[in-house]
Amino acid sequence: MTAPVLTLLCPLAGAAVLALAGRHLPRRVAEVVAVAVVLAGFVAACAAWAGFDGQSRILHLASWFSVGHLAPSFSLKLDALSLLMALMVSGVSALIHFYSVAYMRRDQGFVRYFCYLNLFVFSMQTIVMADDLVFLFLGWEGVGFCSFALIGFWSEDAANVAAGRKAFILTRIGDVAYLVALALIVTSLASTSLTELNARAGLLAPDMVTLLGLLFLFAACGKSAQLPLLVWLPDAMAAPTPVSALIHAATMVTAGVYLLMRLAPMISLSPAAMLAIAAIGALTAFFAACAALAQHDVKRVLAWSTVSQVGYMFLGLGAGDLTGSFFHLLVHAFFKSLLFLGAGCMITAMHDDHDIFRMGARLRRHAPGVFAAMVMGACALGGVPPAGGFFSKGRILFAAFTAPGLAERLLWVLATAAALLTVLYAFRLVFVAFFGQPAGQGGPEALAPVPKLMLAMLWPLALLALAGGALNLPGEAPWSGWLGHVLAGVPGVAALPEDNEALVSALDALISLAGLLLAWRLWGPKNLMDWRRPAALAPRVHAFFLSGWKLDALYLAAVARPYQALALWLWRDVDGRGLDGLALGAANLAGNASRSLRRLATGRVTATLVMFALGLALILLIFSVRAA
Amino acid sequence: MSVYGVLFYALGGLMLAATTLAVTSRSLVHAVVYLVNAFFATGLLFYLLGAPLLAAFEIIIYAGAIMVLFLFIVMLTRQDKPLAGGVSLMRWLLPGLTSLVSLAAGTALVFSGGATGVPLAPAMASPRDLGRALFSRWWLGVEIVSFLLLVALVGALYLGRAPREGAAAGKSPGDAP
Amino acid sequence: MIVPFGHVLLLAALLFLMGLSCTIARRNLVMILIGVEIMLNASGLALVASSLRWMSMDGQALTALILGVAASEVTVGLALVMAVRRASGSLDADRQTALKEDDR
Repeated sequence: MTAPVLTLLCPLAGAAVLALAGRHLPRRVAEVVAVAVVLAGFVAACAAWAGFDGQSRILHLASWFSVGHLAPSFSLKLDALSLLMALMVSGVSALIHFYSVAYMRRDQGFVRYFCYLNLFVFSMQTIVMADDLVFLFLGWEGVGFCSFALIGFWSEDAANVAAGRKAFILTRIGDVAYLVALALIVTSLASTSLTELNARAGLLAPDMVTLLGLLFLFAACGKSAQLPLLVWLPDAMAAPTPVSALIHAATMVTAGVYLLMRLAPMISLSPAAMLAIAAIGALTAFFAACAALAQHDVKRVLAWSTVSQVGYMFLGLGAGDLTGSFFHLLVHAFFKSLLFLGAGCMITAMHDDHDIFRMGARLRRHAPGVFAAMVMGACALGGVPPAGGFFSKGRILFAAFTAPGLAERLLWVLATAAALLTVLYAFRLVFVAFFGQPAGQGGPEALAPVPKLMLAMLWPLALLALAGGALNLPGEAPWSGWLGHVLAGVPGVAALPEDNEALVSALDALISLAGLLLAWRLWGPKNLMDWRRPAALAPRVHAFFLSGWKLDALYLAAVARPYQALALWLWRDVDGRGLDGLALGAANLAGNASRSLRRLATGRVTATLVMFALGLALILLIFSVRAA
Repeated sequence: MSVYGVLFYALGGLMLAATTLAVTSRSLVHAVVYLVNAFFATGLLFYLLGAPLLAAFEIIIYAGAIMVLFLFIVMLTRQDKPLAGGVSLMRWLLPGLTSLVSLAAGTALVFSGGATGVPLAPAMASPRDLGRALFSRWWLGVEIVSFLLLVALVGALYLGRAPREGAAAGKSPGDAP
Repeated sequence: MIVPFGHVLLLAALLFLMGLSCTIARRNLVMILIGVEIMLNASGLALVASSLRWMSMDGQALTALILGVAASEVTVGLALVMAVRRASGSLDADRQTALKEDDR
C-alpha cells in the first residue's frame, strides 16, 4: 500500500526541495520539479485506485504524540471516497501545475509560487486521506495557510495581502468550531479516529451529535465559503488565476464539504444538523447565484458561482445523498478548473484586464479555442444537457425533492430557482465576454497571444466536464450509476428512491434550456446595444448584488467596526490611561517618596548608628510592653 | 554568697569600670590599654562560667592579637596624642538616653521571664566538648567563618597595599577621595 | 551556685550599650571600632552564660564563631581606617560624607 503514501508525500517532497534549494535551481529545473512531483502523485493515485479492491482499510503510518486520552497518529483512511477524491485532486492539480508554468512564465517569484502550490496539494491530500482528525487538522490548517500565502502572492499590492488576510481570518473563525468539536470528541470518545467516531457515534447523546454536526458544519462553512463565512472567496480572486482554479476546484473549497462527507455517518444521526446543512447549502446557492449575476469581473463571476455550486453540494449532503454530492463535487472540479483556466487565458489575452464588458467579440475571433472551452464550461456549469453538470446537479435536486420534510421541499424550490440563475449568469458571462461590442470602454488595443501550453490544458478538462455525467448516469443501462456502485461500501451512502426521477430531470432540462434562451435574449448578440439593460432597469438591485448582498458592509458594520472601537477603547483608555497610568503613578509615587526621604540622609556614619540605637530601643520597648 | 559570686561581681565591676574609662578616654592609647584590662576580665569570667577554652581564646585573640593590632594602627596613624577638643557632653546625650531606655526595657524584659532568676550552677565544659560541638553541629558555621577570614585577609591586603606612584587616582579605593 | 542568670545578662547588656554609645558618641574611627569590639564581646558573654544556663554547647560554639568574625571584622576595619587616613588625612567619622548625594 505504498501508492497512497506516495500520493501524499510526493507534493510534500517537492515543496521541501523548492523551499530549501529552489533559489539555486535554474527556472526550468524548478518548474520540472514542481510539475513532476504532482504528476508522480497523480500516477501514484492512479496506481492506488487500480490496486483498490473495494475493502476500506486504515493505514497506520506513525504515531504522532500522546497526551492523556489524546493520542493522534498519522493514519490514512483508504476507501472508495478518499481514493477517488485523491485521484481527482492530484489529476486536476497536475493540469493546473502545467498551466501555471505557462501562466507564470514572466513572474520572478516562481519558486515561492510553486513551493506553496505543492504544499497546497499536499495539505489537501492530507485532508482527503487522513483518518485521524488531528492529522486532518494539520492539512486543514495547511490549506488555510497556503491559501493565505497564495492569495496574497503578489504582495506588492496591499489589496492582495488584505484579501489573503481576509481569507485566513474567516477560515480561522471556522477552525475554532473544528477545534471545539475536536475537544468534545476527545473528551467524550477518547479517540480522534474518523472511523472510530463514525462507528461509535450512536453511543453519543443525540444532542451531542447535533452539536458536533453543527460545529463541523460551521468549520466547513469557513473552508467552503458558505453562509455566513463566504465573503472571503470573491476577494480571493486577487490570487494568480491558476491558484484560483486550484482553490475552487481541487483544494480548499471542497475541503469543507469533503469533511462533512467523511462525517456523514455521524451527522446523519441528527436530523437537525442534516437540515441545517441542506438549508445553508440551498440558501448559499441562491444567494451566490444572485451575486454572480451582477459581477463585471470574470473571475468574480466564477468565484460566486463556486460558492453557489458548493452550496448545491451541501444541499445534496444535507438531503442525505452523499453520492450525489460527491458526484457534483467531481464534476464541479472539472468544469470549474476548466472555467478558471479559460478565464486565465482570457485575462492573458486582455493584458490582465478582468472586466468582461471590455472583452467582446474580438476576443472570440482572437482565441476561438478559449471561446469553445468556455462554452463547454458554461454548459456544464449551467447544467445544460447532456453536459456533466446537468446530471450531477439534477441528482442533487432530485435528492432534495425526494427528501421527506416540507422544509426540504422548500429548499428544493430555492435550489431550482438558483439553477435558473446559474444558467443565466453562466451564459451572461459567455455572451457578454465573447459577443459584446465594447464601445469606447478602453481596454487594450491589441490582444496578446495565449500560450499553447495553457490552451492545451483546457481540452482534457473540457472533455471531463462534458462527459463527467458518465460517472453516474441515471437509468438502467449497465454503465449507469457507476459512482453509486463504487461508493456503495462507504459509510453514510444511501440509495435514492426511483420514482419521479424522470419528471424532475425533465424539469431541470427545461429550466436550463429556458435559462439559456433567456440569457440569449438579454445578453445575446441581438441585443448588443442593450447589454446593460437589466442593470439599468434596477440599478439599486444591481449594485446590491454586485456587492454580494452587501454582506461585507454588514460584517464591517456589525462585527469589524464595533470590534475596532472596542480595541481602540481598550488600547487608549483601558491600557493607555488606566493600566499605564496606574503603573506610572506607582512609579512616580515611589520616586517622589524616595526623593523626599533623601533629604533625611546626612551621609554621616553616626546618624545611621543613632537610627540603629533608636530601633533597638524601640524593639526592646515593644517586647517589654508585650511581656508585661 | 559563694566565692564564685564574689568573683563574678568583682570581675563584672572591673569590666564596667575599665570599659567606661576606655570609652570616655581622650587618648587612644589609654583607651586600648583599658580595653585590654576589660577583655582580660572577660576571659576570667568565661572561665568562671565554665568555658576554659574560650577564656584562653579571649585572652589570646581579644586581649592579645586584636588589641595589639589596635595599638599598631594607633601608632601608624600617629593618633597617640590626646584627641584635641576631647569629647563634648552633648554628643553623649542622645546615645546615653537611648541606651537608658534600652536598658530599662531590656531589664524589664529579662526579669519578667521566670527563667532568668535561675541560679547558675558551676560546671566546666572541656575543650574536647567544645571541639566536638564545633565540628559536629556547627561545622558549617566553622567553614563559613574560615572562609570569612580568608576574605578578610584578601580584603585587608588589598586595602592596605601601598598606593602606586603615578597610578590613576580613581582606580584604587585607597586613593579615592 | 554562682549568680542568677539575669545578672549576667544585665552585665552583658550594660557592656553592649556602652559599646553602642561609644560608636555613636565618639567621632574617631578607631574609637568606633573599639565600640564594636565591646559590643561583640558583650554578646559573647551573654552566650557563654546561656550555655551554662541550659547546659548546652551551642552558646560556646557560637562565641567561638564570634571570635572569628571579630577577628576578620577588625582586620578589614583597621585596613579601612588606614585607607581612609591615607585618602583624607583625617580619622573623623563626621567628615567622611562621600556617600551623600549632593543637594541639587
